[in-house]
Amino acid sequence: MLMFVYEKKLQYPVRIKNPDPAMAKFIITQYGGPDGELSASLRYLSQRYSMPYPALKATLTDIGVEELGHLEMIGAIVHQLTRNMTIEQVKEAGFQEYFVDHTAGVYAQAAAGWPFNAASFAVKGDVIADLTEDMGAEQKARATYDNILRMADDPDVIDVIRFLREREVVHFQRFGEAMEIATSQMDKRNIYAVNPAFDKPARK
Amino acid sequence: MANNNSCTYREGPLPSCVSLAVPMVPVQQSSQPAYDSAEALAKGTLFPGLDLPFMDYVATGAVENTPLAELMALDFVLQELALYLDTHPDDAEAFKTWKSFVALAEKGRKRYVELYGPVTRRDTANFNSWVWTEDPWPWDNGGKAGKC
Repeated sequence: MLMFVYEKKLQYPVRIKNPDPAMAKFIITQYGGPDGELSASLRYLSQRYSMPYPALKATLTDIGVEELGHLEMIGAIVHQLTRNMTIEQVKEAGFQEYFVDHTAGVYAQAAAGWPFNAASFAVKGDVIADLTEDMGAEQKARATYDNILRMADDPDVIDVIRFLREREVVHFQRFGEAMEIATSQMDKRNIYAVNPAFDKPARK
Repeated sequence: MANNNSCTYREGPLPSCVSLAVPMVPVQQSSQPAYDSAEALAKGTLFPGLDLPFMDYVATGAVENTPLAELMALDFVLQELALYLDTHPDDAEAFKTWKSFVALAEKGRKRYVELYGPVTRRDTANFNSWVWTEDPWPWDNGGKAGKC
């Protein structure tokens, strides 16, 4: 078997009827922007290697893989918002800058046009630092989806964004529980005495 | 963790005294109550205690009742239970629920593949030709049997 197996279906349906490049212009940020789904999946799938606790290896793997599914959903949203658009719609939406470089392709960039950058996430190799980053990352993604909801006016788009936003809340809870699993195995008097990802093998 | 039975499903207990500078989120106490699979998919979580929408952006029942949506719903329950079990590996009741949903999802997947085509490449073994390439792909219009 392969490490990953592709399933020919999305996690949640994406069915957008009307092109709207103006909306694609800011939703693309959840594809390749600083708090987007590509950042999220690479963050968790990369942090796994130095994580010493089995439950946390599983959490990072299972959430990281789900984020790849969310990347595909955001790609589907951007694709469906830009397919069948006319040049007039491109101009009206102020979509020319994206269009001239990518036509109706889906490219990993932030809303302001910056290409995807690995500097938007961290792998510190320190248990508490990495899990704290993950909890912050879920909050930043949740806030980004809040902001998208404030600006979106197509019910087809709003419904999917609402689903993706709720996933961030659930993931935050799981990373919080993962933090409890990790810190409960550390020295109660000083959990910063060592970094269990480097200084000694995990006890459990 | 302190045991505090007075917590509702929207809450979790915390110890009364905790070391300084330790990040802490209350642990979910149970995989119950839970939504049914269709409602879970619509809301984006299996667990009512974690259902915390922004403003009045709540599920509108937009997920149509298609065979694809049914399969998505069962797979979604499995994802939610898997994440729960990752941080609650000793929860026997949740694991029992997990096993029953694995059986349901396998049945649902078989039925879906027979009607609409492969979900994974391996599923093509049940067909007479390489149907893997057939449109629609998931980003086209939500995939096969997706109502457009």
